[in-house]
Amino acid sequence: MNPRPASPVPQSSSSAIPLRKFGSHDVHISALGLGGHHLGDATDQSEAERIVHAAIDGGVTFFDNCWEYHRGRSEAWMGAGLKGYRDKVFVMTKVCTHGREGALATQMLEQSLRRLQTDHLDLWQAHGMCFENDPDLFMRPGGAAEAMLKAKKDGKVRFLGFTGHKAPEIHLKMLATGFPFDAVQMPLNAFDAHFHSFEQQVLPELQKRGIAPLGMKPINGHGDPVIKGVLTAEELLRYAMSLPVATTITGMEKMGVLQQNLKIAQGFQPYTADQMNAIRERSKQTAGDGRFELYKVSLKFDNPEARLAHEFPLDRKSVEVEEMVKSPVNNGHPYLDKSELAL
Amino acid sequence: MAEESGISRRDFVRTAAGTMGAASVHALASAEARPRHATGSGSRAESATSSAPVPMRELGKTGEKVSAIGVGGFHLGSTKDQNEANELVSRALDAGVTFFDNCWDYHDGQSELILGNALKGKREKAFVMTKVCTHGRGKDVAMEQLEESLRRLQTDHLDLWQIHEVIHYNDPDLIFASGGAAEALLAAKQQGKVRFIGFTGHKDPAIHLKMLSHDFPFDTVQMPLNCLDATFRSFETHVLPEATRRGIAVLGMKSLGGSGELIRHGVVTPEEGLRYAMSLPVATTISGMDSLAVLEQNLQIARGFTPMTAAEMAKLRERSRELAADGRFELFKTTKKYDGKVGREQHGYPTAEELPV
Repeated sequence: MNPRPASPVPQSSSSAIPLRKFGSHDVHISALGLGGHHLGDATDQSEAERIVHAAIDGGVTFFDNCWEYHRGRSEAWMGAGLKGYRDKVFVMTKVCTHGREGALATQMLEQSLRRLQTDHLDLWQAHGMCFENDPDLFMRPGGAAEAMLKAKKDGKVRFLGFTGHKAPEIHLKMLATGFPFDAVQMPLNAFDAHFHSFEQQVLPELQKRGIAPLGMKPINGHGDPVIKGVLTAEELLRYAMSLPVATTITGMEKMGVLQQNLKIAQGFQPYTADQMNAIRERSKQTAGDGRFELYKVSLKFDNPEARLAHEFPLDRKSVEVEEMVKSPVNNGHPYLDKSELAL
Repeated sequence: MAEESGISRRDFVRTAAGTMGAASVHALASAEARPRHATGSGSRAESATSSAPVPMRELGKTGEKVSAIGVGGFHLGSTKDQNEANELVSRALDAGVTFFDNCWDYHDGQSELILGNALKGKREKAFVMTKVCTHGRGKDVAMEQLEESLRRLQTDHLDLWQIHEVIHYNDPDLIFASGGAAEALLAAKQQGKVRFIGFTGHKDPAIHLKMLSHDFPFDTVQMPLNCLDATFRSFETHVLPEATRRGIAVLGMKSLGGSGELIRHGVVTPEEGLRYAMSLPVATTISGMDSLAVLEQNLQIARGFTPMTAAEMAKLRERSRELAADGRFELFKTTKKYDGKVGREQHGYPTAEELPV
């Protein structure tokens, strides 16, 4: 265990990460959120814990995770890092039923709580609404929607939401179900602004309904537009954070990346409308075919659980599949092995 | 893929039984149990004699007629050698198949070479189509590819020349930009190098409709048509009626999912799948045939073809509705699997090795 560094100097309002309202609730979360998948890419657990501590010290309160990230390692490392700080943060994780039954969701919740070393989540979201029939399968009798409502009633989770990176239409279909979502997560970046746009189609609807919008993939997932020199990481993150969202979740697997992001987020001043337009002008040319948003136009960002539940081909190169193949308890069911459920 | 990585699909299907609902599992089981020829009408059996010809159909408003089934060019390039391809083309022609599909980039040009050889001395009997792979590039690239296609196909003209794989959302803008590929289609037609022009794509009806919104004199439009498409991102529902209304000939493809996905997963029998596609109001249904056995199977269905009744079609759509709903067997719509090399390059996408799906 790493002892927490000495208490930071009290932050003046100009240097703190702004806190933003979580939808219609009297709850506030940091405008920058720490992504759970990348945390599992840290060199080791103690590095992951150091990143968590430094993020808290830097003013991050929103922590993202997911039941299947790194087959549980992301949740376990975050849980270890949050030990002693649980009350200071807003912990979210996601459930990977992908159309399967509600009982499975409940099992996954119990496992997430154990790994995160907590008795409740601040936010529990249905992960990866990426297939056109996901909304129907989510709402069906005995489906995940029922399990989520029960978890909230039982006090195991405070708020409910869903996530997805594929198509605004699927998000709108989820909203049309009438399920009482508190939060909705989606890709929001300068390229999305032009192409199958969540910014244009979903964000206004959430604002209208008082549902907290959570942005993700501000740097397009793996930073491809930065590598190709279209926009810098800072420009991209600033663009995403300037949208009317409750938080922007981004991956930080290294202390250096965290420090860079903190520098942008602390005392954050949103872009002006003119600056936003200027960024959009620069992303316009390459936005039109989705080359930098492969999560919308390919299976690349669809996790193994989603692919398996919908019988799509797996990606051998995805970390979770690689880890599964190597695991001594791999019996053909990627994660739902009883011995692993107990972990 | 799933089997390779140690995950048993059978195990998964069992796990998923509660997942996808009993109906889909039932649909699977009943499809598997269905006898091969139990289509019920009886009329097919009467007319499907080995001598009945493959019906000819109007090619839109062109005044031309083509055979109701077409030989797919990609699969022709997958036959074991030129001799088998020659035999396949020759038998197809004898049975009344006139429509031959191809594309500038199939097997890096081999498919066109093979068809060109196989049609030697028989060019006049065939309706030869090939496609141009500009993928956003302009007229000059298109005209160069046309000359190359004509050389490989050993002919001085094409019956039909189509823009290949219009699958990216900005493709219509690029095609209709000044100096774009649309200008090449008109120029080639004017020069008498091609008789008719069209475009193809397998991704999204919205892209096809955007192409058609340009009110360009397309003679044909090619699209995936099968019993799953009927209820999922449907070309049948969204594009087929619009093309028909305008007298543009519709060419169906991927009647069995592109690589027989519908057959391998027990959704339909080959006969059901092909008959469904051929029963739609299309000029032809292009089908991949990489062996004489597949050709014969298709000919058995196509000779003296009688369309399915509306009730038969509705039943098949209903039976496959649940499996259609997430696009698992129409991977050309939902993944990168069927997107070719040249298009990926031109649109700045990862290669098929880097991003198979």
